Amino acid sequence: MTASSPSDRLDRLRDGLRAVARIARWEVGRTAGVVDRRTAALGLVALLLAGAVGGATLATGGAALDRDVYRIGVATDSPYHEVVRESPALAARDADLESLGRSVEVVVRGDRFYVADSRKAEAALSTFRSAVRRHNLERMGAERNVSAAFPVVVTLQYVDRGGGPGSAADAGGTTDTEDGPSSATDADGTADTEDGPGSAADADDGDGNQGTDDGTAGSSDSGDGFAAGGGSGSLGVPFLGGDLLGGGDSGSPADISPPFPFGALVLAFVFFVPMNFVIQPYGSSILNERINRRGELLLVAPVSPAAIVAGKTLPYLATLVGLTAVIAVAIGGGVTSVAAVAPIATLYLAATFVGGMFARSFKELTFVTVAISVFLTSYAFVPAIFTNVTPIALISPLTLVVHDLQGTGVTAAQYVFSTGPFYVGAAVLFTLGVGVYREEDMFTQRPVPLKFLDALDSRIARPRSMAVLSALSIPFVFIAELLAIAVLFVLPVDVSIPLLLLVVAGVEEVAKSLHVYAGFENDFADRRGLRTALVLGSLSGFGFFLGEKLTAVVQFVGLPDLALGQAAFTPVGVGSAAALGLLLAPLVLHATTTSIAALGASRSRNWYLAALVPATLVHAAYNFAVVSALG
Amino acid sequence: MGDPRVTIARRELATLRSEKTIVLALLIQLFIAAFSSFLVVGLVSLYDPGSVEGFETEVAVTGDASDDLLATLDDRPSISGTRYVSETTARAAFDRGEVDAILLADRRAGRVFVSATVPDGNVRTTVIVVQLRDALSAFERVERADRSASLSSTPLSLPPRSGASPYYGFSYTVLLPLLCFLPVFISGSMTVDSLTEEVDRGTLELLRVAPVSVVDIVDGKVWAAAGLAPAQAALWIALLDFNGTSIHHPVAVLVVVAALAVLVVTLGATIALLAPDRRAAQFLYSVGVLVAFGGATLLPVNPVNSVARLAVDSVGPTYPLLVAGYVALGVAAYLGLRRAVPRIGVGE
Repeated sequence: MTASSPSDRLDRLRDGLRAVARIARWEVGRTAGVVDRRTAALGLVALLLAGAVGGATLATGGAALDRDVYRIGVATDSPYHEVVRESPALAARDADLESLGRSVEVVVRGDRFYVADSRKAEAALSTFRSAVRRHNLERMGAERNVSAAFPVVVTLQYVDRGGGPGSAADAGGTTDTEDGPSSATDADGTADTEDGPGSAADADDGDGNQGTDDGTAGSSDSGDGFAAGGGSGSLGVPFLGGDLLGGGDSGSPADISPPFPFGALVLAFVFFVPMNFVIQPYGSSILNERINRRGELLLVAPVSPAAIVAGKTLPYLATLVGLTAVIAVAIGGGVTSVAAVAPIATLYLAATFVGGMFARSFKELTFVTVAISVFLTSYAFVPAIFTNVTPIALISPLTLVVHDLQGTGVTAAQYVFSTGPFYVGAAVLFTLGVGVYREEDMFTQRPVPLKFLDALDSRIARPRSMAVLSALSIPFVFIAELLAIAVLFVLPVDVSIPLLLLVVAGVEEVAKSLHVYAGFENDFADRRGLRTALVLGSLSGFGFFLGEKLTAVVQFVGLPDLALGQAAFTPVGVGSAAALGLLLAPLVLHATTTSIAALGASRSRNWYLAALVPATLVHAAYNFAVVSALG
Repeated sequence: MGDPRVTIARRELATLRSEKTIVLALLIQLFIAAFSSFLVVGLVSLYDPGSVEGFETEVAVTGDASDDLLATLDDRPSISGTRYVSETTARAAFDRGEVDAILLADRRAGRVFVSATVPDGNVRTTVIVVQLRDALSAFERVERADRSASLSSTPLSLPPRSGASPYYGFSYTVLLPLLCFLPVFISGSMTVDSLTEEVDRGTLELLRVAPVSVVDIVDGKVWAAAGLAPAQAALWIALLDFNGTSIHHPVAVLVVVAALAVLVVTLGATIALLAPDRRAAQFLYSVGVLVAFGGATLLPVNPVNSVARLAVDSVGPTYPLLVAGYVALGVAAYLGLRRAVPRIGVGE
């Protein structure tokens, strides 16, 4: 493309957009065309069945996967027999001490409990214990004398330590609280509140406890705490204020629960269902272009590959955004929900596009799409569990959805922080994929790794590209490191921390040097000298350093209290803010380690892989030193 | 060359090997298993204070019922209470970070009203709330016992506490079924892909020119895919066993997995023959499998539960009957497909 006058450019842009629209229309028509009458009938039947099963699941309250897993020996006249019968996980058997450990795990005789000597029996006893506790609570709920059945009434409030009473909205937003005695404490307008024993207390007893400060706490709560949340801090009455405005859960002790956004999370999950279905036809459509050279006609048409890809993607993206909007309306989400889910959908499509470009067969594509679904769903879902607990949860856009569903606000900075990596990631993936949207890559059967190298190479034009690619790899490094943390979490700490540092170093080294290797395989194939290797390695390290610092700055500006997140994800940058020398240390480190890898990459694949080992070790040693220096 | 069906099955497996997709499949399964374990470990440690060791909650107790409340708190290992004379002093201690929570307990109208104040928005909040809940529940039991005269029934005494691992039930009822059935679903999806791709590339036509019938082709593909699932399940069972989760009836579990693999792969093949475009076929297959498995969990005997109970050894001596039922289901579906294939008329 050469420089041209503005009007020329505008014309070209208009032409491009027209081409995109045309391809999008064609894509829609073709996809609709494959649905013949038989397929449509089958689809209708499948959807009807799905609806029926979904309805049945809702009606019966879901399935008990652990039905009758533990067997309790209990006589039919024992009061515990009813407990065992009610609990799905427990199965009632004869109270026969002889069979203890063989066909029953626990035997109840009168008030005595006989437990077999096995891990299973311990688990059975523990399940039994909670079943009895639940049974007792239910029985007490039926008592007429409520003040004797539930003699303790708890009101829970969350207060910012040291500050005034605040964050009423945060606490009030939790979904699964049950209405306790002061039923006016109904701060949470969300779905599944249940009337606890207490609301009966107010009606039945009528012994005047409405006039107590509990009652007032409740009523003012539902007013102020809900409306603003932020404005409550201005009252400045330390204790009374806290009592009045700290939205909290209340009821019998068993009713209070930690701030876990269970209901909102389940609802947020609904957004993921259409994505997993839509990426299937999208991936097929991309791969279809590559089968029997079908895409050749489009390729020779006077449109750019980017326009073809945009046109083919547009209908699917529009479908997803439309479905998201419909779901948002159905479950009570707002514009924020749609705006937060859209980048997730974009990344889904971007990853599927790259998968469709790389895969050699439908089978391979299936595995790729399953992998994409699993990785992205867990990446989005897991942090959102901690929405009310820590700001790190904001690394997932789903957290924004949970906030939105709970009625707690989302700031622009939070939105940028959450969705930024998704937008950048999607853009990078589309760019890589469009790079191989050309004849020599589309219609050849090459192993996925080689295609990937080709895709990287298509973005390398000059040494400077190395720095750019390194910086662009940051969102993926971020995601990979988070996943590493998640997987290594189950190991004991003294194993997991060193292993994590090693994995983090390895991930970063690969991210920094892979495109250097790709460059040596193609563009720089004739310049495999020591100098080129050092230059490319240093540039790549420099780009990564810049990207990392930029991320840290964004985190710092967007979420000042996210120091923990920085510590977890960018161990290299942690201790370096203090002095300029320390600030440059990670730069030197990145440049050095990448140069080591680049030296290997300049020779051959095996040399590259071998060189990654010392590079990773140096990096890990540095990380370890930083982490131990910080204590 | 012997049976053409074996040849076709071999070819199926060979493409899997050459594309190394099976490695990706195993990685996905490992990842799902690791992730679900992470979720459970994380959630359990958040919601079961017993598993968070070395964390003691300091509570400031004030109000006119504080003596009784303190007596209960003293019995609990993970929580310790200190008496404060007034709410003001308690709040000051809370703000200085000396205590993690304030309990203001007042007796009014025959009940105890506890107003609990906990710090907002950090990981410890969750632990503190759970510990407070347990302590206050114990306090409630004591108070309730004092009022037992006004109750029409007395609560049942609780079975003793046990040092059970909170992950025990999860390993058998979630993790193992997950690892057993993921390969089954993936196998079915693979069959759909394999058949639709043959149709799409036109190679099914070529195959039909060869001296094999369509039934043979479908047979070969079903065998290859259905054989993979139990092999992967066996691998997971061995790994779980190695990891300390012993599986009690491994052969029975594998037979159930194999039978369901035949069933699901047959479903995939049928759908692929009926709707030979991959987009439609994959969509129908995913919905179909979801419906079948989701619907099955509503039944008293369902695959997930059966595998869990076999593995944890909670089946009676009649368990071979249960296994035979699944085998009958799988075989019936397979025979049905064989009869139906000539009628569907592939690639015409």
